[in-house]
Amino acid sequence: MKIFEPHIHMFSRVTDDYERLALADVRVVLEPAFWLGQPRTTVGAFVDYFDTLVGWERFRASQFGIHHVCTMALNPREANDDRVNADVLAVLPRYLEKDGVVGVGEIGLDDQTPTEEKFFLAQVDLAKAHGLPILIHTPHRNKRRGFERIIDLLRDAKFPWGHVLLDHGNEETIALTRDLGCVSGFSIYPNTKMDVHRMVAVVREYGVDRIVVNSAADWGISDPLMIPKLVQALLRAGFPDATVEQLVWKNPIAFFAQSGRLDVAALDRPPTASRRETHDGNTILRGQDPERS
Amino acid sequence: MKPVPPALAALERALAGPEEPWLRERLDLDPVAARAALPVAFPALARRAGRAGLAGRAEHAGVRVDLAAWRRCDAVGTLLLHAADPVDDATLVDLFLRGDLEERTILLRAATVRPLCAATSRFLDEIQRTNVGAHLEAACLDSNLLVRALDGGLLARDRFDRLVLKAAFNDLPLARMDDVRARPGTELTRMLLDLATEREAAGRPVWRDTLRLAAGAPVAGTIARVLGALEHGDATTRLAGAEALVTLGRRDLVAYAAERLPREPRPDVRASLERAVALS
Repeated sequence: MKIFEPHIHMFSRVTDDYERLALADVRVVLEPAFWLGQPRTTVGAFVDYFDTLVGWERFRASQFGIHHVCTMALNPREANDDRVNADVLAVLPRYLEKDGVVGVGEIGLDDQTPTEEKFFLAQVDLAKAHGLPILIHTPHRNKRRGFERIIDLLRDAKFPWGHVLLDHGNEETIALTRDLGCVSGFSIYPNTKMDVHRMVAVVREYGVDRIVVNSAADWGISDPLMIPKLVQALLRAGFPDATVEQLVWKNPIAFFAQSGRLDVAALDRPPTASRRETHDGNTILRGQDPERS
Repeated sequence: MKPVPPALAALERALAGPEEPWLRERLDLDPVAARAALPVAFPALARRAGRAGLAGRAEHAGVRVDLAAWRRCDAVGTLLLHAADPVDDATLVDLFLRGDLEERTILLRAATVRPLCAATSRFLDEIQRTNVGAHLEAACLDSNLLVRALDGGLLARDRFDRLVLKAAFNDLPLARMDDVRARPGTELTRMLLDLATEREAAGRPVWRDTLRLAAGAPVAGTIARVLGALEHGDATTRLAGAEALVTLGRRDLVAYAAERLPREPRPDVRASLERAVALS
């Protein structure tokens, strides 16, 4: 079952993860720009991170036969930090035009402060200006209230719901989002957030229309193979192949293809990268023979 | 749209295509607005303008460029800069340093047809510092940028030498480095021969144009290498040796060409040997 993983922070993962993802038929990974586990103190740290997302990480994925795309944003956690927030917003327009960028994200709310709202709305405007869909991080604390506030802000901004992915949802929030016309995202974690069994129950109740699932694997305890594991659970539960394929392949493609920057036909095949190629003069080979690695 | 010099008219043909309205909209901006739009326009160029190849040559004001090496996005990037001129060095350097690999390639190609400036110098420093084949090709091949920079005083001789050495290290062909063969230097020859020695010791291929360039400014060891090349088992090395013999132009070496000539099976090598013999 081919898989488009629509939320995974490969920046934080090792090469073994890329190998395991490729073996599990994950053909595309989407890496949203987020925080790095601790606050950054200068805009330069963001710029270097953004350059990595459109550069080295894309190359690294290609070396394992996986397409890498990303979304760019000032994340809501660091939106509260006046040392960097305005300067990051200023550099975003050029990064939103880079190859491989298919959306604005993760934006949204975390602590749900007025400053977060200000930078959230500024980035909603950027998404409109650049014709990109938005990937929204919803709060881990006071989640339902956060969902409601985000929905109110987007309604006031008249942002098209078809271009909105409200991520990190659960059984409590899905009822809020079904009638909006947006895409609902669910992050499957080993111990927290949604788990595989709860997600199977959500699919049983709500179907797969306008739903995407992801591992949100990052620097913490998380599992990049959560979506392949969910696929197996859904098939064992009796869902048809076509239903599962829509959930883990067609839905995320349909959403991010709205950027106009996804070559959908090309996603079916591995990227053509050779291990003889370099990125900025660098390889992943560490001296190994490219024909034997 | 601001008129472009006649010599660059070929670049305008690159505008045709489905994204032409988007491109023309940016080219029609007044220079101030065009400059402001550059940081957002450049990242989208390869995606919007595409990478289809061009054809022909461009020559004007001492600039010579083989457009067969250019892509559509290179041409559109050059036209965008022209529309935004005067673009100051700080803006150009910012575009380069904040650009991805593709944007930098476009800027380097544009630099080959634009006037020399401090930003050109910085670009050349960057390609020397990094190790990106596409960038070396864009700056060093298919135009006379390196020689223009040397002759124009932008590149000191030692920087020029190190750039040519880096091109040799990456096995780029001398025939596509416009006029570089006409700017030999003894320090460059020494570095190229040292590189050849290192490569031979490691059992690796030697840059095929080493002798062609070394013969223009021979140092100790050059003659022996040229004469040895005449008997090499690889025909491309023999050809380089025969051409180097012609470049050396020394009558005292003619006998070696005459000795090799009857045994040489390759017509192109024979032709060069005959030119060497004719020196007598």
